[in-house]
Amino acid sequence: MLVENATSLSEQITQDLLPKKFGRRGMIWTAVLILFCIIGAYAYYRQLRYGLVVTNMRDYASWGIYISNFIFFVAISLVGSLITAIFRLTDVKWATPLTRIAEIIAVSAIVFASLIIIVDMGRPERLLNLFVYGRIQSPIMWDVIVIGTYFIISLLLLYFPLLPDLKILIHFKEKSGKALNKLYRFQGSFWRGTAEQFKITNRSIRILCIAIVPVAFSIHTVTSWLFATTYRPGWDSTNFGAYFISGAFLVGAGGVVVAMYVFRKYYVLEKYITVKHFEHMGKVVVMLALLYLYFNINEYMIPAFKMKKTEQAHLSGLFTGEFAILFWFAIVAGMIVPIIIMLFKRGRKPLPMFIAGIMIVVGAWFKRYLIVTPTLLHPILPMQDVPASYHHYFPSWEEWAIAIGSLSGALLIITFFARIYPIIPIQETITEKLEESEEMTHGKAYQRESEYYEKPVLTPKEQAHEK
Amino acid sequence: MKNNFSFLILFLLVQQVIAQKDSVVSKEIVSLKYYNENASMQYLVLENKLKTGKKTEPLRNKTFQLFLDSIAAPNKIGSVTTDNDGKAKSFLPPALKGSWEASAQHKFLAVAPGKEDETAAELEIIKAKINIDTLAGAEARSIVVQVMKYENTEWTPASDVEMKVGVQRLGGVLSAGDEETYTTDSSGAVTVELTKDSLPGDQQGNIVLVAKVEDNDLYGSLFVEKAVPWGIAIKSGNNFFDQRKLWATNFRTPLWLLFMAYSIVIGVWGTIIYLVLQIIRIKKIGTASS
Repeated sequence: MLVENATSLSEQITQDLLPKKFGRRGMIWTAVLILFCIIGAYAYYRQLRYGLVVTNMRDYASWGIYISNFIFFVAISLVGSLITAIFRLTDVKWATPLTRIAEIIAVSAIVFASLIIIVDMGRPERLLNLFVYGRIQSPIMWDVIVIGTYFIISLLLLYFPLLPDLKILIHFKEKSGKALNKLYRFQGSFWRGTAEQFKITNRSIRILCIAIVPVAFSIHTVTSWLFATTYRPGWDSTNFGAYFISGAFLVGAGGVVVAMYVFRKYYVLEKYITVKHFEHMGKVVVMLALLYLYFNINEYMIPAFKMKKTEQAHLSGLFTGEFAILFWFAIVAGMIVPIIIMLFKRGRKPLPMFIAGIMIVVGAWFKRYLIVTPTLLHPILPMQDVPASYHHYFPSWEEWAIAIGSLSGALLIITFFARIYPIIPIQETITEKLEESEEMTHGKAYQRESEYYEKPVLTPKEQAHEK
Repeated sequence: MKNNFSFLILFLLVQQVIAQKDSVVSKEIVSLKYYNENASMQYLVLENKLKTGKKTEPLRNKTFQLFLDSIAAPNKIGSVTTDNDGKAKSFLPPALKGSWEASAQHKFLAVAPGKEDETAAELEIIKAKINIDTLAGAEARSIVVQVMKYENTEWTPASDVEMKVGVQRLGGVLSAGDEETYTTDSSGAVTVELTKDSLPGDQQGNIVLVAKVEDNDLYGSLFVEKAVPWGIAIKSGNNFFDQRKLWATNFRTPLWLLFMAYSIVIGVWGTIIYLVLQIIRIKKIGTASS
């Protein structure tokens, strides 16, 4: 009886979580994203053809929305280390359905972080020079190294937990289709679910979880150092590493909340991404938002208290000047309002959480813009004998198109991933649900007997060892 | 009282209307400047701009013909086209040497092509030259500058000529004394004591003394310079770029940084390689068990 229940529960979970074909809404969503990507690609073609002059970046504002976008992508990618690694290491069980969402956000964001930095280069073919003549003394070199490393680690962290699920996917050949089945077989046909394979996988995941934390911290700390190692108003801070990391965790968690809501709604996953998950994530996000708010107070209030002459124009521009609307939007809509919403139990329900998550992500994007551009427009040496347009910066349509195209590209990776792979780990969910039901039925042991999610099969060597 | 107030408002309004009317009138300005550097290089700079109200903007790609003394083909200095700053430069050609030496006073004329009967700009100058010399005593070092003008077939001193006298630095001329500018006396000379000592020079300790007459109504712009060993020799460390420092090239990276960076990279990438090997191991186990 127990075995029968376990099998039907497993089958139910598998049916619920197997990737599904795009419906009408999915097709429209994907088409819109592809359209944005094509427009972005055309704008980039124009940039390559005519040079960076098609942008509105000039002598002073030489870093615009491309670099803001780069920091945004790097920031949001950090969520992989938070949800997957930190929560795994601290044995936070409720986060299991969210691990793959977090990891695919991390991978897609880091891919586009790498691409957008190349887009910012007037002569992208010179990227090669970085490897030929690169100086390890330069924070830019450190950034290239950590981004590459983080990408590989994130991919591995996505791949290892996917192995048991690949076996399940291979089993449902008629549902996935020939092409996808071929892909699944290429990636995981060797998975037999033996005890040894589980042991190696679990150990590898544990190693990855430990390794990804310092690498993730490095990636965003080094990105912050690109600014903090430069003597400029707004960037001249010893606190930038921690400030960036806290902001990254917040935007990443906000991104996961938005993705949770969308996947839950679109794929009807209410049984797996429950109200309880939103409740837990709400508390985490409030803590992260408070932490980031604390760092913001440090970053802005202390220099404003001293109001050094070199910082004055920059700070006035943010508080009451040309960037004031954006600045207060980023602070109020990106931090304070989400905190107020999620502090209350009613605010930690899916829809309010989704709205707060959107506010956090949008606020975070503008926050990155405010970190980059106003500083460049307020250099320590006065701006003299330059055209009036050099004193201001507003992105050209090509810049907007490329930035929106890159954001769409990242969303497209997530969309296709969810179409091809289960967005919630099937095997882990089955194991957890069975453990839960086992605990509920007087702690009795169960046997998982099914052709595709069975108890780890022992090899002859392992059987001999057990005897 | 009421009447007075009405008049004041009317007056202000009329002023405003006149000012607005003025501000929309555009006027093309062409100006010429003559330069003589070290009594050897002479050239003209033409500037063409458009003045609209209080705003001026350079006129680009405009062509002008320059003449010496009169608008005639044998006296043509050259044809110039203005650059992005609305400026164009032309040297005096050797062919006009005879005409130049024949007179003490000359006129430069600029005309637009097709408008030869209409002079766009005109500049009259008296030929002048400027010399610089030094007087170095036991306690003080002085700079002596003399300006001479060509008059009645001979060079005579030019008095009351204002000029800058100092040391050429990267950002401009550092005045030799306490005054910003100096004026020549009846002998056409200016003597300025160099009050700034310990100025950094080049590797041999040379500094460059300069005298500069800017935009003089009679003589144009005159410039002369002379290198003197009055500065402090700057010895750049022979090993400056060979040190293992953060600013050095990739071949001179500090050892501590190399050690730290490579330890981290090897540690992390070693782990990644180990994990990739684990995937291969998992694959082998799977293949063996099937």
